Amino acid sequence: MKQAGNNSDIFSIKARLRRLKRDTNRWSIFTLAIVLFITLPVIAIAVKLLEGPGETWWHLVDNLLVDYIGNSFFLIFACSLLVLITGVGTAWLVARFEFPFRKQLEWLLILPLAIPSYIVAYAYAGVFDYGGSLDLIFRFLNLEFIRIDIMNKYGLAYVLSISLFPYVYVSSRAFFLNQAGNLLEASTMLGVGEFKSFFRLMLPLARPAIIAGLILVLMEVLNDYGAAQYFGVNTFTTGIFRAWFSLEEPETAVYLSALLIFIVFALILIEKWQRKSVQVSGNRASRYIHRKTGTRLMQNLKFLLVLIPVILGFFIPVAQLGYWAFLTAEQVFDFNFIQLSLQSFGIAFITSLVTVLFATLLIYFAKWSNTSGIKSISKFGVLGYAIPGAVVAIGIMIPTLAFDKWFIVTMDSLFGIKTGFLFNGTLVALVYAYSVRFMAVAHNPIESTALKVSNSIPDSSKMLGVGNFKTFFKIEFPLIKTGILSAMILVFIDVLKELPLTLILKPFHINTLAVKAFEYASDEMVMEAAIPSLFIIFTATIPVIFLNKLLIKD
Amino acid sequence: MKKTLIGLLALSLVFSCKNAEEKDKNTEEEKTQEVNVYTHRHYESDQELFKQFEEESGITVNVINANADELIQKMSMEGEQSPADVLITVDAGRLERAKSGGLLQAVSSKTLEETIPSHLKDADNHWFGLTKRARVIAYAKDRVDESELSTYEDLASEKWKNKLLIRSSGNIYNQSLMASIMVHNGEEEAKKWAEAIVENMARAPKGNDRDQVKAVVAGEGDLAVVNTYYIGKLLNSEDPEEVKAGESIKLFFPNQDGRGTHINVSGAGVAKYAPNKENAIKFIEFLISEKAQKVFAHSNYEYPINEAVAPAALLQEWGEFKEDTLNLSKLGENNKKAVMLFDEAGWK
Repeated sequence: MKQAGNNSDIFSIKARLRRLKRDTNRWSIFTLAIVLFITLPVIAIAVKLLEGPGETWWHLVDNLLVDYIGNSFFLIFACSLLVLITGVGTAWLVARFEFPFRKQLEWLLILPLAIPSYIVAYAYAGVFDYGGSLDLIFRFLNLEFIRIDIMNKYGLAYVLSISLFPYVYVSSRAFFLNQAGNLLEASTMLGVGEFKSFFRLMLPLARPAIIAGLILVLMEVLNDYGAAQYFGVNTFTTGIFRAWFSLEEPETAVYLSALLIFIVFALILIEKWQRKSVQVSGNRASRYIHRKTGTRLMQNLKFLLVLIPVILGFFIPVAQLGYWAFLTAEQVFDFNFIQLSLQSFGIAFITSLVTVLFATLLIYFAKWSNTSGIKSISKFGVLGYAIPGAVVAIGIMIPTLAFDKWFIVTMDSLFGIKTGFLFNGTLVALVYAYSVRFMAVAHNPIESTALKVSNSIPDSSKMLGVGNFKTFFKIEFPLIKTGILSAMILVFIDVLKELPLTLILKPFHINTLAVKAFEYASDEMVMEAAIPSLFIIFTATIPVIFLNKLLIKD
Repeated sequence: MKKTLIGLLALSLVFSCKNAEEKDKNTEEEKTQEVNVYTHRHYESDQELFKQFEEESGITVNVINANADELIQKMSMEGEQSPADVLITVDAGRLERAKSGGLLQAVSSKTLEETIPSHLKDADNHWFGLTKRARVIAYAKDRVDESELSTYEDLASEKWKNKLLIRSSGNIYNQSLMASIMVHNGEEEAKKWAEAIVENMARAPKGNDRDQVKAVVAGEGDLAVVNTYYIGKLLNSEDPEEVKAGESIKLFFPNQDGRGTHINVSGAGVAKYAPNKENAIKFIEFLISEKAQKVFAHSNYEYPINEAVAPAALLQEWGEFKEDTLNLSKLGENNKKAVMLFDEAGWK
């Protein structure tokens, strides 16, 4: 017995070694390399955890943590609810039905994302404020006793939801457009009603795509700083800033960040676990949904329904910004804005290419490695999105500065050449930082479409001796193109409006529109921030329309 | 569509590269004089001043705009190789933090030492005030009589229950005010004060200083604690509603019979490892010159630090006031403790 036990132990070690050997293929190594590259900043921050929390940690736990947890969970819950209803609802309506202005609304629904959420918060405060637009209307109607206070946690949940729901809209629409055709046809042929086939068939099938969008929303909600701070709602992220800067304890801030990452991770795991229980079979139905027309009345009704979130998320803030821009144009407007727009555009475009490339490589290398461990590890790549931009920036500076300083010293001692930083203060560090931060934004839509591609075709192609890359370009790429395009749109917009990270890492001579908007807004010159904000929106509109066209044509 | 997009793209790349090239040129030609400024001041007037300095001195000004906390973090990580020459913040507390973090260096400049009053600069000459602002009480003209107001301490008295508007404790100006109260009255009293203020708040703290004034005008409360220059900006706003709001309140400078009204400065220091130290000193000297101080005073409604320059007409209307001469270094030293007291008092 004893001997047998020993034997099996030896066996299991051998077996493990064998398994390790089998799994160590070049794809796993490539995957690990990319994950390491992307998570380096996160690891650099995590190492700080080992130093233990600062002395203010218990002060924070005693006085503030309950408030942080309460508010953050309230936001997670309220925003999920609002975003799911708006995002999935509008996606389904535009994918399934024909109604007036459907084509225009399809891309208008993406645009709320183009306004930084802190600017949306300011704009809404401007609407509901004393002397604000709504107040003026009420005064005109002799209703000035009515005042709605939006600056609280409910208002915050509303503002964040209305500016972030397009994440869910984009990912679920990509699914509806691309994958739902055949099944829907079958279910209508079997006489299943419209409602039933939506709730019983489409929703469960679209779940990975919907959840992918929802997770992006929640990560963004969790690390929002500007809007929460302005509305006076204390969340984890406002706490991180407080610990880091007001209490002067980076160690405590890192502990809070770790808690935040833990929450996000828990959300991802819950989703994974749930997804397993609803195995979706590989279905590569690429036939389009045939749009239903319906009666004139119903068409107009649907038009109105889809219009509501566009009005709330886009037209109202834009109108308020437009009014401010009109008031301040004389002082603020300057032709430099056009140059600034072009610069922002260029940076955002390069970054979206780089990030989408890395995300695709990450997903497919992990897939080709054919190793479940590697596949799970690849998920770590998206962590950067869960961390506030300012913290990511610090995380980027730790390894790149170490390299730069080493480089300066080496060049000086070996060749006597005095050099400056190689990466810090250059576009390279900035684009690297953006890629780390927005990997999740690129990863999720691509992965959720990639999951839908059945393995049978690429497998048979590989059996016939065609290489991984060729198979990818010939077979898989055309099928996941919608995911890739959606990812590019989202990353592009996110980079355009990104702030804290840009502030810390940008080179001296490069400026972005978001930085310009911040320069005004940070010093209570909210009205003056309107013009750069409108430029951000305008710059974002061009690729949104263009990429959306490609997406639909596909 | 495609062509326009490609055209746009090409153009944008050219522009991004062009600027990068310019930078390279600067580093290549060593003779080009420059000064690298990390600043938390984001005003148009500052940019004009920088341009003026460039024209007069032939020294190029390179700017990074961000929050002081992040700039300090950046400088400390960059260490000896940091390109920063000058750090500008909007409060003394953070300059003191930069000093104690070993990020600034002592500077000997007669101009700076003679022009700036001693309580508005660092005793070791690590940093210097550029402009002053006072934290004052704005009250509703129609509901409050000036005789009811006296000191910051009095804001804690019961008669102001549910009438006081003040922003969150995350704000550095509140933290500095709290630090000054700690220094003058002791920790124990300061905490009691904060607790009483929380009791008196008309609403949970939110928004910025301008929003506090608007809330007074809207009738949510009677008093607001704000910085002077925000009132100047409110009164000169492009939005007629904001001007109206500014006109329906009056300012009160507290503690005139005692230690004086709490003030803070926006200030600058030379970075410890400044690669262009001489230029950095010239730059700061320029900023406190009469010419530059006039620009600060008139476009941004701050009190000039150079006493030879008169404040803006609006500020003169508010009258002269006695200012608290507590050395501003004390605010930085006590900042962390102030924040912890805020938390214990439940001031959000």
